[in-house]
Amino acid sequence: MLNYNQTIKEKKSYQGLQMNEVKPVMKLIVRGKKREFLSAIGKSLNMVLPIKANTSTQTEKLTALWLSPDEWMIFSNGVVKGNTNTYDTEIILNKNICKLNLGAVVDVTDQYVRIVLKGDKVYDLFQTGSPFNFNEFRNKIGSVTQTIIAKVDVIIHNQNQNEVNLFVRRSFSEHLFSWMNDSASRL
Amino acid sequence: MFLINCPFCGEREQSEFKAGGEAHIERPKQPTELSDDEWAEFLFMRKNIKGVQFERWNHAHGCRKWFNIARDTSNDQIKAVYKMGEKPTVK
Repeated sequence: MLNYNQTIKEKKSYQGLQMNEVKPVMKLIVRGKKREFLSAIGKSLNMVLPIKANTSTQTEKLTALWLSPDEWMIFSNGVVKGNTNTYDTEIILNKNICKLNLGAVVDVTDQYVRIVLKGDKVYDLFQTGSPFNFNEFRNKIGSVTQTIIAKVDVIIHNQNQNEVNLFVRRSFSEHLFSWMNDSASRL
Repeated sequence: MFLINCPFCGEREQSEFKAGGEAHIERPKQPTELSDDEWAEFLFMRKNIKGVQFERWNHAHGCRKWFNIARDTSNDQIKAVYKMGEKPTVK
């Protein structure tokens, strides 16, 4: 992990809602269209990339989120070592995808901040600032959506009942977190 | 405000999208052979009709893919959504 100023410094709790950053978490964006690309990812990581829109797949260590028909985000479920910027997953993918010209793999570990939100008020909070309809999303574990909250681009992943992962760009994260705190205090 | 059915992600609100102007405008094959008027026609002149208009849209805050829609400009009703390179299903 690169040395950076942590923007979200503390865990926040409200009635029916807890928010905190989980770090360091490895995050990769993989892009590719060819069929060989999909099978190479499958073989390298022992996981299938989700083909269906707005879904995700999960293994013991990794989760893959569908972002667009040719773009996925892969992140580690748990935290990784904080003193390095190289990850085994990335090395394997670089060897099996990039070197063979099947697609692109980009490390976005430092670009995105992963915020975990828990509690039964999570969707009430999202509702205050997002145009997305969460009715179906909240009942389907593994759903993924890219949308906007308070005009900030976010990726939201339904991890579990009333537990979501929210990915936001680092430079927006402090603002979004303070906005969410403000909003949560009025729920 | 209206809903747009993104061909990749499903129904989303308009604020997630960016409009990309009129669709199906072909770039002239030999721009150097055009007169200034013809070139200006290609570059700047766009239809602005009351009725069904074909437009390019980008799901900027979602999957970031481009696609076409046929929208009635008088009431914002979307008549058809189709992918890039496809022909519109309505007239």
